[in-house]
Amino acid sequence: MMHCRIDGTVVSTVCHPSLKGWRLVICQPVDDTGKDQGQPVLAIDPFHAGLHQHVFITTDGIGTRHRVHDDRSPLRNMVMGIIDD
Amino acid sequence: MRLGKVIGKLVLSTQEPAYAGGRWLIVSPLGKDQYQNPRIRRISEIYSVVVYDNLGAREGDIVGFVEGTEATAPFEHPMPIDAINAAIIDSFQYSPLT
Repeated sequence: MMHCRIDGTVVSTVCHPSLKGWRLVICQPVDDTGKDQGQPVLAIDPFHAGLHQHVFITTDGIGTRHRVHDDRSPLRNMVMGIIDD
Repeated sequence: MRLGKVIGKLVLSTQEPAYAGGRWLIVSPLGKDQYQNPRIRRISEIYSVVVYDNLGAREGDIVGFVEGTEATAPFEHPMPIDAINAAIIDSFQYSPLT
């Protein structure tokens, strides 16, 4: 699980079929004080989190593959929940 | 998954039999200033990655590549690769909280 902030969105038409229809967001890992920690990563977002909202994402592919119902999917990061405070 | 800019292609003469028909790209992961201005020519200092590609990305494209065991997920036979191109990016909006 990584604590991240949503910093942008990505549009891709030519992609692996398991990504079709999923919202792709740019997540910036942050520490507990909200400071940036390292480089941004991409994740699929089933919850439509808003810009600069704090979320936590999973980096485990098994759960993500289960969620997109495709066990041949190369997906790895997925937004697991939006953090209120 | 990480975003990267395709800066080159790779042709293997002798290779693993599992790689038959494979296509390889040299991808430089985007750093923060490349995210803010995708058109600058300077690439980031992050190590470039060799990415397996079956979507047909060309040089100059921005691609989303996945690393780790998930890169071998799309294959039936065991495939010794580290990174695969999962998406060719059309556009992205990036507005960091500075």
